[in-house]
Amino acid sequence: MSNDGEPSTGSIEACAIQRTLELCRLARDASLPVTQGRLIDVFRALREIDWTNEDDFRLALRTNLVANREDEITFDRIFHSYWHPSTAAGGDYKPWKPELVRGRKTHGEKRGHEDIATQSEHFGAEEVLRQLNLTGRWDESAPPLVQVIRELAKRLATRPSRRQKSATNGRRIDLRRSVRRNVGNGMELLRLSRIKRRVRKTRIVLLADVSGSMDSFNPFLLQLMLGLQQELKSSRSLVFSTQVSEITTQLRRGTVRETLQEVSKKVKHWSGGTDIGAALRELNTGLLREGSAQSTVLIIISDGYDNGSTEQIEQEMRSAKRRVKTVVWINPMYGASSFEVRAGGLKAALPYVDHFLPAFNAKALKTLVQELASI
Amino acid sequence: MNRTDKNNFASIDEIQMAFAERNYVADRSLALTLKLAADLEKPILLEGEAGVGKTEVAKVLAATMDTPLIRLQCYEGLDANTSLYEWNYARQILHIRMAEHDPDKRTNLEKTIFNDEFLLNRPLLEAIRHPGPRPVVLLIDEVDRADEEFEAFLLEVLSDFQITVPEIGTFTAAVRPRVILTSNRTRELNDALKRRCLYLWIDYPSPEREREIILRRVPGIEAAFADSITNVMQALRQVDFYKRPGIAETLDWSQALLGLGATTLSAELIQETAGVILKYHDDIEQLRTLGAGSFI
Repeated sequence: MSNDGEPSTGSIEACAIQRTLELCRLARDASLPVTQGRLIDVFRALREIDWTNEDDFRLALRTNLVANREDEITFDRIFHSYWHPSTAAGGDYKPWKPELVRGRKTHGEKRGHEDIATQSEHFGAEEVLRQLNLTGRWDESAPPLVQVIRELAKRLATRPSRRQKSATNGRRIDLRRSVRRNVGNGMELLRLSRIKRRVRKTRIVLLADVSGSMDSFNPFLLQLMLGLQQELKSSRSLVFSTQVSEITTQLRRGTVRETLQEVSKKVKHWSGGTDIGAALRELNTGLLREGSAQSTVLIIISDGYDNGSTEQIEQEMRSAKRRVKTVVWINPMYGASSFEVRAGGLKAALPYVDHFLPAFNAKALKTLVQELASI
Repeated sequence: MNRTDKNNFASIDEIQMAFAERNYVADRSLALTLKLAADLEKPILLEGEAGVGKTEVAKVLAATMDTPLIRLQCYEGLDANTSLYEWNYARQILHIRMAEHDPDKRTNLEKTIFNDEFLLNRPLLEAIRHPGPRPVVLLIDEVDRADEEFEAFLLEVLSDFQITVPEIGTFTAAVRPRVILTSNRTRELNDALKRRCLYLWIDYPSPEREREIILRRVPGIEAAFADSITNVMQALRQVDFYKRPGIAETLDWSQALLGLGATTLSAELIQETAGVILKYHDDIEQLRTLGAGSFI
């Protein structure tokens, strides 16, 4: 703080503190992990730098307030629109830092920066835009899926690891630990330690089709998504029609009603058209790029009727298949007696699907789980 | 606030200069984070795709501070024994056997076999027991590979910088080590751990920065050639490869091309040396389909 001696310092600093607090509040509103501890660290950090430099000020706040790369981008947006509200409102926001442009361009066509906000303002031609109330699509009388989902989670989301962990009911003897325990007994092996194989948790990525053609299965779909998310905290849930929205955090809300309201607020493209290829592409360039292929299971719930190109679906499915361990496709139409694979999108995708399963209600899901058990 | 000793850097520019001296081109966000980590005594969590120079940050930091680098490479199944300390059982048993023939030693056997002499320091304890005066740099590499239990344990160490060995007592760090954690995001880390760290995402370098890195790291390369390598690499990163090439691949490739005596790039040359940049057969095939020439 170079201008300690100047008479106006007090007011400048007071103003800066005010601004910082406002920014932190905005960040908290945007679900960034702004805790009291972090807030204190922000001010400690500001003491160490020249906060009159806008860039340093931003970076000092950011490094303290974010926990991942998405948060970084969100924070930069908040910061930018805070100081330059006019450009942000106009929607022609351009990144002023190269670091904001992240692998969103495809080869040959440089589409420039597409950030979260502009994407959500971009809709397909057949998009149905309306405020949806999902609470009407929740079937209260449906039998609870908890047991089935637990079973499903057990089948899909765990696998034995090569590694061992100590366990009193383990089958094998842990020699190393046994020796160590008995050093005090003059090396008489009086008490044995045992080990068993660890169980590794698998990450489930659930991609659900919420286009118009899936409307009649919505109650089941919602139940399945809610159940899976609550049973497997580490899983990620996304819905797509002509665009993709991640609803993982929304699904973690307390009650069913709250959850449905949150999801309705977030997803504006429910009952729209279908673009499976684009949805998969988004997954491939984002979520599936992270994480190890060996521990990811991709579950797609869709009827496979698609307005996009089948080549793209084929290409993206091939790409997705390499990024995950197992691909499960749950098709609600498959149960119908007149069903045959006619949907072009589905035809293109089928060669890359490990398990193609019918499920349109809780009963069918139970059968599905039993089938999975036999695989 | 003008501390020019090697513990705390006086300014962000100074960090950038010190890193540049050791041929690491640090951008402002990295330099600022490093400075804050020193001032606030907080660990840094670096995330980014493979090969963007996360680990290198720790190495260069240790070099600029002229202090040892202690590295803990994480892997699945890493536990307290391999990261903290271990008793040297073999020596302890030997000692017990010897004591059996010596009644004097036998009386306080337990005290003698659980002391410093038989303690094997593993990276975390080593970092905490470092006498100073300058802090060591502790690199906890690829922390996402370790189990969640290990993260919880790490949390404890990183918040207090003290470790208790029941038989001996508690060790507290005389000087807090500079801790750098890196992660490739193969899984999301625990929120509690993240909360204790300053966060920075290291991205692929901008063209200017990549060019500068090549010129600094590959001695004897011509500026124009570095330019064309940079252009190709930047274009390649726009393609949806299974594994996009990082800056490490850029440097390997530059070295390889220099070794082959090349001074200009051609489609054939790129295709022939594609194995240096792309590490998956499918990616190399994709490059062939797209035509290597289109990237020049």
